[in-house]
Amino acid sequence: MFRAAVPRARSLLPARPVPTSTFCAPNIYFQGRLRRGYASDSEEKDLVIIGGGVAGYVAAIKAGQAGLKVACIEKRGSLGGTCLNVGCIPSKSLLNNSHLYHQILHDTKQRGIEVEGVSVNLKQMMKAKETSVSGLTKGIEFLFKKNNVEYIKGTGAFQDEHTVAVNLIDGGETTVRAKNIFISTGSEATPFPGLTIDEKKVITSTGAIALQEVPKKMVVIGGGIIGLEMGSVWSRLGAEVTVVEFLGQIGGPGMDAEIAKMTQKMLTKQGMKFKLNTKVTAGDDSGEGVKVNVEAAKGGKEEVLDADVVLVAIGRRPYTAGLGLDNIGLETDERGRIVIDQEYRTKIPHIRAIGDVTFGPMLAHKAEEEAVAAVEYLTKGYGHVNYGAIPSVMYTHPEVAWVGQNEQELKAAGVKYKVGTFPFSANSRAKTNLDTEGIVKFISDANTDRILGIHIVGPNAGEMIAEGTLALEYGASSEGKADHSSNRLEKREADRAADVARTSHAHPTLSEAFKEAAMATYDKAIHY
Amino acid sequence: MNATRVLLQQRQPMIRFLGKRTTPSHIDHTPHAHPASPSGSLPESFAAYRQKAQQHGPLNQRSSFSSSGHIGGRPGASLGPVEPQSGVYFDRSELPARFQRLAWTQAEIEAVESGGASLFA
Repeated sequence: MFRAAVPRARSLLPARPVPTSTFCAPNIYFQGRLRRGYASDSEEKDLVIIGGGVAGYVAAIKAGQAGLKVACIEKRGSLGGTCLNVGCIPSKSLLNNSHLYHQILHDTKQRGIEVEGVSVNLKQMMKAKETSVSGLTKGIEFLFKKNNVEYIKGTGAFQDEHTVAVNLIDGGETTVRAKNIFISTGSEATPFPGLTIDEKKVITSTGAIALQEVPKKMVVIGGGIIGLEMGSVWSRLGAEVTVVEFLGQIGGPGMDAEIAKMTQKMLTKQGMKFKLNTKVTAGDDSGEGVKVNVEAAKGGKEEVLDADVVLVAIGRRPYTAGLGLDNIGLETDERGRIVIDQEYRTKIPHIRAIGDVTFGPMLAHKAEEEAVAAVEYLTKGYGHVNYGAIPSVMYTHPEVAWVGQNEQELKAAGVKYKVGTFPFSANSRAKTNLDTEGIVKFISDANTDRILGIHIVGPNAGEMIAEGTLALEYGASSEGKADHSSNRLEKREADRAADVARTSHAHPTLSEAFKEAAMATYDKAIHY
Repeated sequence: MNATRVLLQQRQPMIRFLGKRTTPSHIDHTPHAHPASPSGSLPESFAAYRQKAQQHGPLNQRSSFSSSGHIGGRPGASLGPVEPQSGVYFDRSELPARFQRLAWTQAEIEAVESGGASLFA
């Protein structure tokens, strides 16, 4: 009788401490958090996704298409995560527009176009960038509506294994219960010890796409893809850019050493300076500018670099702060990645992790593949991502792109391989474009001629690598039959590189260079 | 045309198209290391959790995905009884929280003790 008079649930709702132990809840405090009975206050979702970045939003749309009841929690206020908001997309806008400016300044005269009074309107350039970003992020919101995805704007944290508490952006709190939960909280820039990131003087990639003025001097710590792309932008706009890299080559460990060397030469020609095998020992940002102390990686004379702006681009780390992983007893590995199995499941099987927050390269397209596969594991019980065929692209000019293994990796693994290259200087389309720097490099197995890796530096490399990825993907599907053809006398040309080389490529196109490089792995290129 | 045919007889492309995507008939759903995992192994906690957890039936039993192909493809009853094996007992405090006893609130205790008078105090 008094149960009606004293609504117990209401009197108990203010949360008591949530137990940290998970599956069974011997903790007496836990009991008080539940209403009597089986129903929870809101309907249970089939899937809740924490993080609306590329992994999260793709999973949400895919799950919506499969008819699941799905909600996506995002705290940024706009969907798309780092990639769309402060990463790939805005940087490509700046890269494209700064390249146009650079080309008008230095290149159009020889093409017969004389342009007077060229200047940079940085404010407008940033506005153009924002237009691209907002158009794309709003596009995802539309896709959410179209596919019946509930979009919850707020910060999600695990309350228990099936419940996520959300601190809403507009104020207030809510909880969502779900049968399945995906963690796709992404990554953040790794800070450099000794330098405080203020996104004005000491910046990460986020600050590098939003500088108010072109710095006179810029030091980039880390010669990986992000450092080189952002360094390129500001170098083209007039900054004196010095890249400090600990390793002996630019582009990070995935880039082929030969390609990295060529790229470095081209970028040096464009005005960027490089200090390889160099480590940053200390930084001082107390003055008006920033001082960065560097010395040779193996020890040597110390040097102080002055800069108006220092870009810290030494890598990214998984972002799980405030996610309440402790509440459900989920652990991360030594680099902060959430540990998963082959079906993206954490140790708690209905909680999965995809994208930057877990293993594998931190690339948007890898996150996208994982999102689709993880939802397929949920709905069909089977998904697939080929981690051996994920392309990487650096959008400098010329672009650098690769897929598969590089020469140094194959050497280390003791694999016998053949190399075929073709320079863009021998390609007709590149010649007509007056844009002939770079090469296409094919690496194939010496015995079977199966393609092992493709590395391109040159115009349009990023688009061209798609063909290479496709070849690698289909090659991977026929493993074990790879040397099928070697039984046939003198039919060794019936191989994967030959599959590419025998395919007609339109003339005149840059992709002919791709075909000819494939031809060069087992025979000679025609035009070189 | 004949020239092409002659060429095709000699050459066998090694590209194998994947064809229409189908779900393999047998999929091993037991946890293995993720292909991109640097350590190539799963921590102990994965097995430990599965040993302990019971979720719509024991977790370490083979999933029904391979036979049904989709969620809800088989009735829950086909998973078998959720009762413990003989000799094994569940304590109420080990069951999911919704099956556990609820705590009394102070207001309820007082209401019982005062014969309901505290509700009108």
